[in-house]
Amino acid sequence: MSNSHLFLPSGFLRTPLQNGLGRYIPQLQRITLKFCKNHGGSRGVRDFIESDLMEFAKTNPGTVVYLKPRRHRSPCMVAEYLNGEREYLSCHEFSRDEVHKWLSYMCTRSGIPVMRFRKYQHTDYPTVQGVWNPFTHQAPEINVAEFPHGVLSKPIDHGQTATEQLIEIFKKTQIEDPVNKPSN
Amino acid sequence: MRNGRVGTSLSGAVNVISKRNFKAHWVAPTLRELQRRKVIEEDRNGGPKIFHRSTFLEWNYDAEIFAFSNRLGEKFNDSSLRAALTHKSYIERETARLSDIGVESNLQFHDNEALAKKGGEIMSKFINGYLRAVFTQVPEELIRAMHDFLTSNATLETVAKHIGLGDLMLCADFPCKTETYVKSFKAVVAALAESSGEERARIFVQDLVVTQLYGQDVNELWNPVDPVGNLTAILKREGKAEPEFRLIRQAGSNSILAVYYVGVYSDKNFISEGAGESLEVAKEMAAREALKKLFHTEDSMRALPFGRQLKNIQSRIAQLENQPNVPLSEWISQKVMSAVH
Repeated sequence: MSNSHLFLPSGFLRTPLQNGLGRYIPQLQRITLKFCKNHGGSRGVRDFIESDLMEFAKTNPGTVVYLKPRRHRSPCMVAEYLNGEREYLSCHEFSRDEVHKWLSYMCTRSGIPVMRFRKYQHTDYPTVQGVWNPFTHQAPEINVAEFPHGVLSKPIDHGQTATEQLIEIFKKTQIEDPVNKPSN
Repeated sequence: MRNGRVGTSLSGAVNVISKRNFKAHWVAPTLRELQRRKVIEEDRNGGPKIFHRSTFLEWNYDAEIFAFSNRLGEKFNDSSLRAALTHKSYIERETARLSDIGVESNLQFHDNEALAKKGGEIMSKFINGYLRAVFTQVPEELIRAMHDFLTSNATLETVAKHIGLGDLMLCADFPCKTETYVKSFKAVVAALAESSGEERARIFVQDLVVTQLYGQDVNELWNPVDPVGNLTAILKREGKAEPEFRLIRQAGSNSILAVYYVGVYSDKNFISEGAGESLEVAKEMAAREALKKLFHTEDSMRALPFGRQLKNIQSRIAQLENQPNVPLSEWISQKVMSAVH
């Protein structure tokens, strides 16, 4: 149940530069795809570049795509974000779809490192009516009251005791004394 | 010089999405020892070595500029944008370098001095327009304090860094100084006004600079020096009775954690209350709360509008750019209009 055994850092939800409040700015600055032109481990990356890369570049015009063919190296992608963070991912023996999926994953990230969210909501204005303090909703009469007080010393919603209820019922069922009746 | 040393140890750190792998028993101790030696070397040299992004092999300045304008969703004139990103120091360095080699430089470089100055002016104008349209009841001194906060070097540097100007600027200093970032950002605003018109530049400043006001307590940016005196003056000008301060609550007056609640009344009408650890402090807090209520800047004030919520008041914002709010010395409720939104 606890999270202390996790090495993953934890934090609260945040976004760089209030992104989305004014306009949304895609945070992926540039992505570098490094691959080998021959080796089989780069086949997926090569297939992706031949088929899906142009569409990706067109739909993400705010991201610069660099291609780095390097012989005898395993394929990888390095994503750089606007807040200066970098993400490295090895694409060795990925299929074309896997490369596409991981690339779109990189697009949706801001550079803030992966962390466990402590809460899924955040607000800078936690209270509108003011934080409760012991004086909230207290009757002003307590300032000049002498305790013990007839009303303020009692519990607020005491209600009638059984004795008081019986007295009230008795009073209601009382037959009026004809001597005290006002003359019509 | 396109490299340097930085005090922080986090530059150059790469987050690796790791996979399961099997390494020999000697790999981890070797890497640990190399890291230890690297840390010692870097401490001796005053920080890890950093390189400008343009020194990398994978760098295409034209593509970066294209991506920059698309990222922000704005259209720039190519010449304006390039001029906005070029600094005088860079031009001087390049011409000196070329003349050292012996090449006569006929380079058509425009620097961003004029653009930066113009950008600073129009940015101030747009910010003031927004603040006066949103904070209609507030005296001009608080508008000025909020404007100074938004146009401060720290705020503008943060904004400039987070839209990617760090790699695009052509300047002689590396790591780039705060003034360089601020100048580039102001020049970019001016370049946008030149390219797409003042309307788009206004929306740009609202979306990027003014949103930095979110989460800030405006009452921490400015507070009148003598709240009791100011409140008395305002009530007198409005023709209301003098403010009367009464003790409402108190607790623990003999202890360190004493608390006094003082309420402000005008002609037996409750205005506000304030709490403090002594009577004088509580009185001042009560006067401050009263002023906050008058200016509509309490903690419970309306949320600031941003982005699409500004569509209806853009004309109002443009109108108020040149009309300062009422100053504190003349402030009365009748002079300020009711809130627009």
